[in-house]
Amino acid sequence: MIVVICVDDKNGIGFNRRRQSRDRLLIADLVEYSQGRKILISGYSATLFSGFEVNTEIRENLLDEAGEDDICFLENVDPAPYADRISGLVIYRWNRHYPSDKWLSLDTTAFRTVSVKEFEGSSHECITREEMTR
Amino acid sequence: MNKGKKIKAFGLLLSLLMLFSFSSCQETVNNIRDTINETFSSSAYSEEQESSDKKQSSVKASEAPSQVSQSSMFTLDSIPEYSGISYVEINGNVPYFDSADYTETAFESYSELDSLGRCGVAYANVCRETMPTEKRGDISSVKPTGWHSIRYDFVDGQSLYNRCHLIGYQLTAENANSKNLVTGTRYLNVDGMLPFENMIADYVKETNNHVLYRVTPVFVGDELVCRGVEMEAYSVEDSGDGVSFNVYAYNVQPGVVINYTTGYARLADDPKSTTEKEKTYVINLRNKKVHLPECSSVAAISENNKKTVKSTLFSLLNQGYTACGTCLG
Repeated sequence: MIVVICVDDKNGIGFNRRRQSRDRLLIADLVEYSQGRKILISGYSATLFSGFEVNTEIRENLLDEAGEDDICFLENVDPAPYADRISGLVIYRWNRHYPSDKWLSLDTTAFRTVSVKEFEGSSHECITREEMTR
Repeated sequence: MNKGKKIKAFGLLLSLLMLFSFSSCQETVNNIRDTINETFSSSAYSEEQESSDKKQSSVKASEAPSQVSQSSMFTLDSIPEYSGISYVEINGNVPYFDSADYTETAFESYSELDSLGRCGVAYANVCRETMPTEKRGDISSVKPTGWHSIRYDFVDGQSLYNRCHLIGYQLTAENANSKNLVTGTRYLNVDGMLPFENMIADYVKETNNHVLYRVTPVFVGDELVCRGVEMEAYSVEDSGDGVSFNVYAYNVQPGVVINYTTGYARLADDPKSTTEKEKTYVINLRNKKVHLPECSSVAAISENNKKTVKSTLFSLLNQGYTACGTCLG
């Protein structure tokens, strides 16, 4: 599966059971990246995709249920325990510092970067998208 | 405070920071807020009785937030010593707002300075309307209590102290408002407060929703520099799903010992520490000077006026002694 996740400057992915941030243009970028492929999301993430023409499917245990080629958009979930099943990784960096009590602990040295893209978000000066593969 | 926006602001006087007298560390912040609430309510009422030429920023009592929640149990002595993390959660990270405050009307409220010139509670319903439309202006004209220009090379930006907005500029566009600026370390400003402000700002920009945000500086007794700030936030339209927290951020700087009474500071014994170990000092009882035992001036002190003590330098300075410029300068 391909894991998509957002991190802050400290590798934080959540605080107080909530996302650290959100950005409409980040979601737009992810929709474009998916090229019509299905994106598995949790119910918590559904509101972020409303208004977009995108093929999402809500799964509460999406890391357990994801197929080999599925794209999984994670919020507040550390994918590290599923490292062996992750073939690709897309990290969106907010390039800002937020409070965090959950962090991305996945060992990214097992992946190699294939592309880096920077773009202006709707509420973020610069968002970085780093696409990695094994 | 109109700033060209239709903000309903509270121009009420809350000269209550003397209540931050934690002499026995038993008084709760709730107690303080209770008293503020009582004063706030009565102030709002009497403003309504006054003539209509009062400043436009006054609001009707019915529009005033309650300021407090009776459920607050936060006490300063319940806060652990700083141990390397810039903030700790309070009340399970649940803010103490009263549900009566869950309004979609923008407001800002800044307490009047107390008799020592210290800031009090700052409270706002942050939304697009309250946010700035231009870059922040100069705030150097404000000298918050305990302010000193102290520089260390190892501090980001060199300056130990920043003029810390209680409610960040990016949220309510307050520039040089002395009721919204405290003496805070760079660490408090950047690591303790900014991340939370960022979270609120992003959320508001993305959703156009409202976030209740209250910042309470916590002073001990007559100290001029706050020990930290309590920050509470709650997103109104989605009942806290977007933003909800209640934390205490420490006004410390790793590697520095701060004298909260005066604002003066010294290097700590350890780069990660914010405390000072007890050492042996020689004090001159006549001129109230403190020396290191090896100081050349010690030999000139008469035995009647000389006393050797084991203490921290800050403790001695707080007792009215001054540091020798030769050995402790």
